[in-house]
Amino acid sequence: MKIESQLKNVLAAGRFAVTAECGPPKGADPEAVIKKGRILKGYVDSVNVTDNQTGVVRLSSLAACVLLLQEGLDPVLQMVVRDRNRIALQSDLLGASTLGIRNVLCLSGDHQSFGNQTQAIGVFDLDSIQLIQTVRRMRDEGQIIGGEAVSPPPYLFIGAAANPFADPFFYRVIRLAKKVKAGTEFIQTQCIYNLDRFKEWMSQVRDRGLHEKVYILGGITPLKSAKMAEYIKNQVAGMDIPEPLIRRMKSVPAKGQRKEGIKISIETIQALKEMEGVHGVHIMAIEWEEAVPQVVEQAGLMPRPTV
Amino acid sequence: MNKENLELNVAIFFCQQLDPDQDSNRRVIEKELGPGIKFFPLPCSGRIEPLHFLHAFESGADLVYLITCPVKSCRYQQGNVRAGKRIAFAQNLIREIGLDPERLILINIDPPLPKRIDLLTRELLEGAPVKGHSLLSRL
Amino acid sequence: MITAERKPLDEIIAMILPFKKVLVVGCASCVGECAAGGEKEVGLLGSALRMDARMTTKELETREMTLERQCVYEFIDRLTGLIDQYDAVLSLACGAGVQAVAEVFPNIPILPALNTSFLGQTKEAGLWLENCRGCGDCRLHLFADICPVTRCAKQIFNGPCGGSQDGKCEVNPETPCAWHLIVTRLEDRNQLDLLEEVYAPADWSKKEGAGPRKIVREDQQN
Ligand code: SF4
Ligand code: SF4
Repeated sequence: MKIESQLKNVLAAGRFAVTAECGPPKGADPEAVIKKGRILKGYVDSVNVTDNQTGVVRLSSLAACVLLLQEGLDPVLQMVVRDRNRIALQSDLLGASTLGIRNVLCLSGDHQSFGNQTQAIGVFDLDSIQLIQTVRRMRDEGQIIGGEAVSPPPYLFIGAAANPFADPFFYRVIRLAKKVKAGTEFIQTQCIYNLDRFKEWMSQVRDRGLHEKVYILGGITPLKSAKMAEYIKNQVAGMDIPEPLIRRMKSVPAKGQRKEGIKISIETIQALKEMEGVHGVHIMAIEWEEAVPQVVEQAGLMPRPTV
Repeated sequence: MNKENLELNVAIFFCQQLDPDQDSNRRVIEKELGPGIKFFPLPCSGRIEPLHFLHAFESGADLVYLITCPVKSCRYQQGNVRAGKRIAFAQNLIREIGLDPERLILINIDPPLPKRIDLLTRELLEGAPVKGHSLLSRL
Repeated sequence: MITAERKPLDEIIAMILPFKKVLVVGCASCVGECAAGGEKEVGLLGSALRMDARMTTKELETREMTLERQCVYEFIDRLTGLIDQYDAVLSLACGAGVQAVAEVFPNIPILPALNTSFLGQTKEAGLWLENCRGCGDCRLHLFADICPVTRCAKQIFNGPCGGSQDGKCEVNPETPCAWHLIVTRLEDRNQLDLLEEVYAPADWSKKEGAGPRKIVREDQQN
C-alpha cells in the first residue's frame, strides 16, 4: 500500500489541519533542514519546503523534502514554474513521488529580478494553473503533457496558493475557481492580516460552493516587530496589513512585540476556526520556526491528530 | 570684450522671433569679428536638431550657442522647451566623444522682446566661459 | 515595429578601431521610426565618430547613407559597387538588417551600431513599448488584445499572479499589470466568461522552432 499524505489524511478526516513552512539553507547543509524539522515535528501535520524563494539560490526543495521525510515529517514540495520547463517539472514530479513525497504545491514563483540571480532567464514555460493541471493529469490519467503514458503515475496530493488580497478583488475568486477546475485539492492562502477582506473573500468562495471542492488553509505569519509590519505593508506586493494592526504592534514596547505578534496570530486562527469553509492554517514563520509550536499550542490546536 | 573669446570660433543658433531686424543687425557684428563668428537664424528654436550642433563642432566651433525666446513667449508654444531637451541630448553625445559639454550653451532670453542680436552677441561673448580652443578647432 | 537603441559610443569606437574607411549605413524603416538608425542618427553618429577620430588622431574616413530597408535584398543592392571601397560597414539597422547585408556582402565586416530591443508600438513621441514577442500563435482575441506573453512579466496565460496590486506589476511598479488590464477590459467588454477558461500550456515550438523559424510562401515566389 502507498504511504498516504498526512495532510490529506487529516483533512479527509475533517480535522482542522496545521502546516508550516521551512526555508532551505543557502548551502549544502542537511543539519539546517533537520534542525528546523525537529522544531516543527509533532506540532504540524505537514511542512512546506520553499523552492528558491524570492529567486534566491538555496538547497533544492526536493532534497530538503527528503531530509524532512527521513525525520518522519510529511513534506509539501513547493514547485515554481520560474526555473524549470515542462520536461524538468514533470521529471521532478516523478522523482518526488518516487522518493516518497506525497504533497506538491504549484506556484508561479517570485520573479527572478527579485533574487540574487537577476541575470537569469525566467522559464515560465507553464503557469501555475497549467502545472496544477499537469500534475492532476499525470496522477489521475497517467499521462504527461501531450498524452504519453507514465507508469506508474506519481502519487501526489495537489495544492496551490491563493491571494485574497491581490487585485482585482472581484477576480480573485474566479481565479481560485480556475485552480479548482484545473485540479487543485488544497489551497494555502497569502498571510491574513486583514480579516475583513478575508471574510469577504470566503463568502464569495462559499457563494460559488468552492469550499466544498477544495480544502482551504488560511495563511498565518506571526509579526516579529512593528518594523516588520511596516515593511510588509510598504514593500511586499500582494500583502495587506491594516493600519490598526500596525498601531497595535507599535503600542507595545519593542521587547514585547514578538509576543504581541504571536497573540495576533492566535486570534486570527481562532477567527479562522469559526469560519465556514476554512479547513486549517498554514503558518509561515519566516526564519522563526520556534514561534510555530507556541502558536499551535496556544491556539488550542494540540495534540495533532494521528490519522 | 573678453579678449580670448574674440579669437574663438563661435556658432550662434537663434530664434528669428527675437529680433525682427536680425538680418541687418547681425551684419554689424559679423563684420567686426570676421569669420570666427557664424549665425544660424531659425524660424523657431524648436526646429533645432542635435545634428546642427555636431556639425558646428565638427567644422571647428569652440563654443556653440542656442538662443531661444523667453519660455512663455514661444510662438510655437513648446519650441524652446523642446530645444532644451535637444541640447541635453547633444551634450551627452559630445561628452561621449570627450568634448566638454559646456561648450554647448543654451540661452533662454528674458523678456521683453524684441532684442537686438548684435547686442545680445556682445553680451554673450562678454560673459562666455573661458574655454579656449577646442581640440577640434586646434587640429 | 522593431525597436533598437544605439550602443554606447565607446563600444562603437572600439569596434571600428581596426578600420580606416567606414561606410555608415542607416535603415529608414523600423529603426528610423524609433529614432535609432534613420538618416538623422546616421548623421549624428558619423559626425561624432569623425570628431572622436580627429581628437584622438586616428585615421578615419566615413560616408553616410541610409537605405529604405536593410533587410530586403532590393534595397541592400544599393550598396553594390560602393561597399568595396570601404573596409567595413557600420550598420544602424536591427540585427536582421545587419545579417541580411552581411549575407549579400559576406567578405566585408558589417558592424552592429545598435542594440536591437523588441517588437513594439510608438506610444507617444519618444516612448516605445514592447507588446509582442512573435510567439507564432497569436491569441490576443482571448485576452482582450493585451498580450500576456509579452506584457506579463511571468507570461501567465491564467493570470494574474498573486503580486498584482493597484493595477501594477509586482516586478516593476511602473508597469501596469497586464492581467489587471486584461481583466478590466474583458469586464468592460462583457466578456468575463473568457476568464473562467483554463488555458492549456502554450505550444512554444511555434516560437522556439527547431532553430530559426522560416516562412515559405510559394505564391509570393518568382
Ligand atoms: S500572443 Fe504571440 S503573436 Fe500575439 S501579441 Fe502575443 S507574442 Fe505576439
Ligand atoms: S503582477 Fe501582473 S503582469 Fe506582473 S507578473 Fe503578476 S500577473 Fe504578470
